[in-house]
Amino acid sequence: MSKNTKVKVQLDPFQEWCHKWGRIGTVLALAYMVALPFVVLAYYNCIPSAGQVLNLGSLGILMIYIPVGISEAISYTPIMGSASYLAFITGNIMNLKLPVAVNAMKLSGKQQNTAEGEAVASIAIAVCSVMTIAILTLAALLGAMIAPVFELEAVKTMSNYLVPALFGSMTLGLFASTANGKKVVKNGIMGVVPVLIIVSILSLFVRITSGGSLFGMVGFLILGMLPVAIISSRIMYKKGIIKVVPKEEK
Amino acid sequence: MATMKQIATSPLLLAGVIIGLLYITLFSLAYFKKAYDRCLQFGMTKEELKSVIKSSAIFSIVPSLSIVIGLFTLIAVLGTTWSWWRLSVIGSLSYETMISSSIASIMNYSSAADMMANASGQEFGVIMILMSIGMLAGFFILIPLGRKLCTSVDQTSNDVNDTSKDWNSVLSGTFMLTMLAVYIPIILIGDTIQALVMITGLIIAIALGVLAAKPKLRWLNEFIMAFSMIGGMVSALLWTKIF
Repeated sequence: MSKNTKVKVQLDPFQEWCHKWGRIGTVLALAYMVALPFVVLAYYNCIPSAGQVLNLGSLGILMIYIPVGISEAISYTPIMGSASYLAFITGNIMNLKLPVAVNAMKLSGKQQNTAEGEAVASIAIAVCSVMTIAILTLAALLGAMIAPVFELEAVKTMSNYLVPALFGSMTLGLFASTANGKKVVKNGIMGVVPVLIIVSILSLFVRITSGGSLFGMVGFLILGMLPVAIISSRIMYKKGIIKVVPKEEK
Repeated sequence: MATMKQIATSPLLLAGVIIGLLYITLFSLAYFKKAYDRCLQFGMTKEELKSVIKSSAIFSIVPSLSIVIGLFTLIAVLGTTWSWWRLSVIGSLSYETMISSSIASIMNYSSAADMMANASGQEFGVIMILMSIGMLAGFFILIPLGRKLCTSVDQTSNDVNDTSKDWNSVLSGTFMLTMLAVYIPIILIGDTIQALVMITGLIIAIALGVLAAKPKLRWLNEFIMAFSMIGGMVSALLWTKIF
């Protein structure tokens, strides 16, 4: 086959189903989510003008979250694969859906970006979505009874450190997930060394100069660092520093 | 003209939210059924799948409880129905919490309670619309480009001698590693307590991994991430007292 011939990527029937029905289901859900406030407001004759919605204060908030949304779609979709449609429509990706998908793939020994891995991730995200809806429904119904527990200072403190705790628990799994069943990527971590160096220097600079953290800028940073990591990984792959080799049989 | 309180507690909004949540639940169940059947066809056993389901359910509890804390924060500002809707679907805890903490001042009210008591229906409409459109940006990438983003890193290959997808394997891992390479220095360098919480979680994960290697404790494998995450969060109580 000619090197330049474009080959249409053949996906597994499950992946095809997700890309078709996941997309349709997502569009329907989005249409409903956007329509709901307008229907309710129209009933009460309270629809605000565009000028009322898009004022300086609201635009400030939107300007922070538009890049975050774009960054999440670009960086997390390749990790969760065809399970992404469900993950995005049910929200809370970084603090819930992504770790639960990674945990499930690690537990079952399936690799991301394979049909098996994406099917397992879909099961995990579906279970997680239903669990979250059930827990929040219960909390909303029993609000007055259980609210005091969640207002305890200790519970609030623990909740503030969810993301660092998540990363502590995920780190080993992330480093281990570089095999696709029959092959293994060796030295993949080398591709992100420039990212580690850049972000470390930036973090150190911000900590020394202002005593603060770049935590609120993560979305922007991932978006900015992805091209750096991809180019660096490509160069190291071409130079043979990063290798893909057959997995040794046990 | 209706007030914020009337709309926030209206049966129409409640009915709309219930219908929406039923749809999302059905969507999740359809995904689940399709994925479950495909996993069986791939040769996975029902026992293996049961273990994935159990582990996912347990893993979901602690982060969901954090979202419950966000729910109670939001209820004080926006009432139960709208808060319940926003955190059950598309919304993100950080986005909704940020909106809830800043919305009253943006609307020129002295506090959330002042806003709930005195805001007009139109002002509540601004909040509802703003929250609904704020997280849409990602979908403008996901819906048209989702398939392309996935297939560009697809590494399914049955042949060990086929090297055509080797770069895909490298690229696929790069997204995960980049996320890690951005978060880890920020957590370790940016904040002492965050760093200690992360290290504690990591040490617990390693210790549980070692224990799970023993035949009698193999069941621990299902809970390593959940337990180490809970351990990391609990350790925050100690670290905040010391530092």
